[in-house]
Amino acid sequence: MSKDFPSPIDPQLMARLTARGTSRRRFIGGGAAAAAALTLGSSFLAACGSDSGTSSSPTEDSGPASGTLRISNWPLYMADGFIAEFQTASGITVDYKEDLNDNEQWFAKVKEPLSRKQDIGADLAVPTSFLAVRLHQLGWLNDISDEGVPNKKNIRPDLLEASVDPGRKFTAPYMSGLVGLAYNRAATGRDITKIDDLWDPAFKGRVSLFSDAQDGLGMIMLSQGSSPENPTTESVQKAVDLVRDQNDKGQIRRFTGNDYADDLAAGNIAVAQAYSGDVVQLQADNPDLQFVVPESGATTFVDTMVIPYTTQNQKAAEAWIDYVYDRANYAKLVAYVQYVPVLSDMTEELQKVDPAAASNPLINPPPDVLEKSKGWAALTDEQTQEYNTAYAAVTGG
Amino acid sequence: MAGAATSSRQRSKIAPYLMVLPALAYLAIFFVVPFFSLARTSLSETGGSVFMPTMEFAWDFGNYIDAFVLYRDQIFRSFGYALVATVLCLLLAFPLAYVIAFKAGRFKNLLLGLVILPFFVTFLIRTIAWKTILADEGWVVSTLGAVGLLPDEGRLLSTSWAVIGGLTYNWIIFMILPLYVSLEKIDPRLLEASKDLYSSAPRSFRRVIMPLAMPGVLAGSMLVFIPAVGDFINADYLGSTQTTMIGNVIQKQFLVVKDYPAAAALSLGLMLIILVGVLLYTRALGTEDLV
Repeated sequence: MSKDFPSPIDPQLMARLTARGTSRRRFIGGGAAAAAALTLGSSFLAACGSDSGTSSSPTEDSGPASGTLRISNWPLYMADGFIAEFQTASGITVDYKEDLNDNEQWFAKVKEPLSRKQDIGADLAVPTSFLAVRLHQLGWLNDISDEGVPNKKNIRPDLLEASVDPGRKFTAPYMSGLVGLAYNRAATGRDITKIDDLWDPAFKGRVSLFSDAQDGLGMIMLSQGSSPENPTTESVQKAVDLVRDQNDKGQIRRFTGNDYADDLAAGNIAVAQAYSGDVVQLQADNPDLQFVVPESGATTFVDTMVIPYTTQNQKAAEAWIDYVYDRANYAKLVAYVQYVPVLSDMTEELQKVDPAAASNPLINPPPDVLEKSKGWAALTDEQTQEYNTAYAAVTGG
Repeated sequence: MAGAATSSRQRSKIAPYLMVLPALAYLAIFFVVPFFSLARTSLSETGGSVFMPTMEFAWDFGNYIDAFVLYRDQIFRSFGYALVATVLCLLLAFPLAYVIAFKAGRFKNLLLGLVILPFFVTFLIRTIAWKTILADEGWVVSTLGAVGLLPDEGRLLSTSWAVIGGLTYNWIIFMILPLYVSLEKIDPRLLEASKDLYSSAPRSFRRVIMPLAMPGVLAGSMLVFIPAVGDFINADYLGSTQTTMIGNVIQKQFLVVKDYPAAAALSLGLMLIILVGVLLYTRALGTEDLV
């Protein structure tokens, strides 16, 4: 909704100013920045006259979807005009909020109302896969029906049958991406190809790692010959120990969320753990920036659309998912957010919308890259807590 | 007549209490209740499932010991940084407040306005601006490097000094204003009198101005030191992995690790240490007036 109107502040500028605020990934900390962005976000919405909190009619079993659909998504994760087109096509009014800034913090916010089955102001939200699984295990998600989403068949086969949710019964992938390395060629003076390059003494104090345990440790585990697909206490601890050693040596400048981007572009950081989509966007301004999948492999993440069991409009939420899963519609989204599509056979549609995106290996990765990329296994609560705690002990709390 | 006088006297006795009632209610709701809730959490044991934990009150003082042993470095660092920042604020703010109070003449209001002006910009944006100024490839670093004044790391950003500088910069207004108020209250005739009694300028500064400015020094130091100890934004944006402060730890314990008892123990422990420190400091300065 907010994107349909010219906003008083250039979103790119906002992104630079509040690095963390506009980040859509799971950063840790920086709550104030997030709050600032949230405040701005909601004032944009207010300016657009979209009134939040209006409840829609409860789900009926017959008739087409109608009423209002409230969506919580990450900032800068939507294409211009996309929502307006959906509203015209479906007759559903969308109340779109960019209030998902951080998975763990969003969870901390919604867990109390959800545990009492109270409305969280969203009929559909887009948490990252691991959090969607947690919500499901707590019994807080509705199933997504096959009848409501006939386009489900368009999902990439590897995602459709992923072990976290075979058949995609309760999670609908929205975007996926790679967690790899990004470097500033002007600052490194050479190409980066592997994890060991992070520990090159030439880059002392100019390396940043993700503070998120899964994104930070996954590729390091791969470089040590273990895999996030079947993590153990020992393999995770081994990666944590390596990071601790390097941190004690002063090799690591910061543990970051999405805010590595500014430091990387400014040359403060030479090599960073990075998300593929961010780097594609940053390359437009700074051609020196490069994204690589390390020789030992990268990890993948998937953000998923889920319907909380407190939804007030199940049918509209399913209609939205189905609309997103139409390849022509989805191509517009991908061209804008520049992440890896979750639908199969996107090349043709992408070429129509944005030929550059279609040929970009970071958006349309070749099979050998995808093969080297591993996703984290669905962790139990105890594992998540254990790994978070172990890594937090190094990232300095 | 007599009855009316009594009732009006009674009313005048009750009136002050009625007037502080809103403030008391505010304090009770927004300070006392959360304080006891925090204290209760800090002595609790967690149970139940990992992501929907239940809190069991257990007089568990071990939370305090664990938290303070584990995060000893960050606690010492926080107090060190805050102390240095407070001293720097005092050294920078005193001459400024003195000039505004005694020498500014008709420019007094203008200068005070200029002191406050930067605070119209949110402190988040101002702190991020320092990242640009101190950047590794920025002109400040290259200039300092050219004259050989750079610290060992070869950079300014992501060092202890960047964090201390950020703390000083962000909180200095809370030093300037109380200092100005107490200096401005000093009767200029006292200075004339000390001059008439053949006191030298340094001597009248020491014997007349300093003692009268003490309430401002005390208020300013506390207004800078207390928030600086708990600050996490400056360490977050201007620091590195080697400069994390206790505020960063508490934030992470609450929001990421979700170890509420440890986070609560750190918060309350910090509060207690600051309280004791402030009491000692007040005693040492020998004044109980704030401004």
